[in-house]
Amino acid sequence: MSLNYIVAMLLITLGLYCLLLKRNLIKMVIGLGVITDGIHLFLISMGYREGGIAAIVPGGMLQDNVAAGFASAAVDPIPQALVLTSIVINICIVALALSLTIWVYRHYGTLDPSEIRRLRE
Amino acid sequence: MIEIPPIVAIVLPLFGAFLTPIIAIVSRRFDVERKVCGWFMVAIMIAMLLVVVSMGARVWGGEIIIYKLGGWDPPWGINLAIDGLAFQMALMIAGLGTLVAIYSLAYMKRDSRFDLYCTLILLITAGMMGIVLTGDLFNFYVFLEITCISSYALVAFRRNSDAVEAGIKYMIIGSLGTSILLLSITMLYGSIGSLNIADLGQKLAMAKAGAEPVPMILVVALALFVTGIMIKVAMVPFHAWLADALTAAPTAISALLAGPVAVIGIYWVARIPYLPFGMPVGVILVALGIISMVVGVLMALVQTDFKRMLAYHVISQKGYMVLGIGLGTTLGLQGGLFHLLNHSTYKCMLFMCAGAVLHRTGSQKFDELGGLSKNMPITSSVFLIGALAISGIPPLNGFASKYTIYLAGVDAGQPIITAIAVLVSALTLASFLKAFSSVFLGQRPERFKDVKEAPMQMLFPMCVMAAICIVIGLLPALGFNIAGPAQTAAMNPGNYISQVLGGT
Repeated sequence: MSLNYIVAMLLITLGLYCLLLKRNLIKMVIGLGVITDGIHLFLISMGYREGGIAAIVPGGMLQDNVAAGFASAAVDPIPQALVLTSIVINICIVALALSLTIWVYRHYGTLDPSEIRRLRE
Repeated sequence: MIEIPPIVAIVLPLFGAFLTPIIAIVSRRFDVERKVCGWFMVAIMIAMLLVVVSMGARVWGGEIIIYKLGGWDPPWGINLAIDGLAFQMALMIAGLGTLVAIYSLAYMKRDSRFDLYCTLILLITAGMMGIVLTGDLFNFYVFLEITCISSYALVAFRRNSDAVEAGIKYMIIGSLGTSILLLSITMLYGSIGSLNIADLGQKLAMAKAGAEPVPMILVVALALFVTGIMIKVAMVPFHAWLADALTAAPTAISALLAGPVAVIGIYWVARIPYLPFGMPVGVILVALGIISMVVGVLMALVQTDFKRMLAYHVISQKGYMVLGIGLGTTLGLQGGLFHLLNHSTYKCMLFMCAGAVLHRTGSQKFDELGGLSKNMPITSSVFLIGALAISGIPPLNGFASKYTIYLAGVDAGQPIITAIAVLVSALTLASFLKAFSSVFLGQRPERFKDVKEAPMQMLFPMCVMAAICIVIGLLPALGFNIAGPAQTAAMNPGNYISQVLGGT
């Protein structure tokens, strides 16, 4: 249980390190991905329950006595839905970032962010 | 009764965005692609504006319009809730979106792939509309990402070296900001177990009443949330991306980014600390606001690029809004929200002037331009109105809102804040006088002898905004009628909570 949170925080920290200190655009994009993965792990761990069942209710099962037992055994479905949404969003971001990186390489011939500074001059 | 308008205001531009490429394919056969796509975009924007306006009377009457997605009741399902605060923002987004759409008809004339541009503009508008209307935290995150991804793509739209450089910078900093927001939302969900803002506010109030001091995780979550928003809003420690993005983007996009996109973050600054947390994070906001005001205007003074100078003024002016909201008093909040409305109008207009100059002369450097007031009399007078408005000169709208913020500073017992704000205004005026004299007055270079006035489609939105600036300046009560309900809504989380949760 707590291992999940430790790994999630480690991933976020590693991603931040990669994003802030690496001097290569591809590695920075990887860092962004790692941060989001850490957050996803954090989010999904919160809905997890040891020995929980999937939160799917077949029709006709919702009598009061069954529903109460179901609610105490099922995992929380909301984080799963949120993580799915967020993964899709993250794919969009990584795809767009990589395509921009390709354009940067075409114009500047380098991926070092400290050399990509024509705007400041 | 099912409320239709809130969801229509979001779905209309979203639907239009996906329809545009299809329309483009069909109209390409008849060789009218550019016209059809452009006017389709404008028509969608106008329809959205009408939908938003139709909600006005009821919202100002104190009602909160609630739409439940899928018919689920608020704590369980996603709901859209429109109170005075959300309505003010929605009105601004729809209005400025329409004007920017008309403006880009002429401005993007020389660019290829106009259909993609229309798609992205409609998407960005749908995202912003969703951000201000939604009543669900995760939904807010999704709409924020829609807005941000489309704005990254729009900044890099021309794909020349400047554009991709600004695009990638904006993208990396912006994605970091949204990741931080997601982490904060995750923590809130983990500790409170709800994503609905009204429900969250209620449960937080209960959790806070029982526990003293406030649990650490809530403080961390709030800190992360404010940090994430401040990155999106480009307050000073995180401001690097804004100047680059606004300089390199097509000017119509700069206008959109400087006006609505950048300030929707402020809406959430006004919403989140007041609603779920019930505790203003005042001191931090006031400090950030003052630093942004001063640094922004000082950076603006030394710029030699027209759009870059305007970009630094965006940072400086946003400092005023955050300052007003951070003060947390009625006057401060009212001034901050009123200034938000005014700022979006005149900053959009100033960027459009810069765009008109760039469109006709091909330059945005102060030392290359000059003497254009003879060639472009309307643009130069509109720019003068905007420059006086942003500096807070009396008969214009900037004065009304800045004066409220000055009063709020004195009222909160901090005259030093007022003094700094007045000083920054003076520096703003100095910087704009420099810009005006070097672009529109002085020696006209030989090669600009035949420069013509900007085309009609660009002049029309500029003149509309100039008229708004003057009218609100002359009748400030009109502006307070819009900002007043917003301020009441922000100060009254209890009303929001009870109406969203209890409303049928």
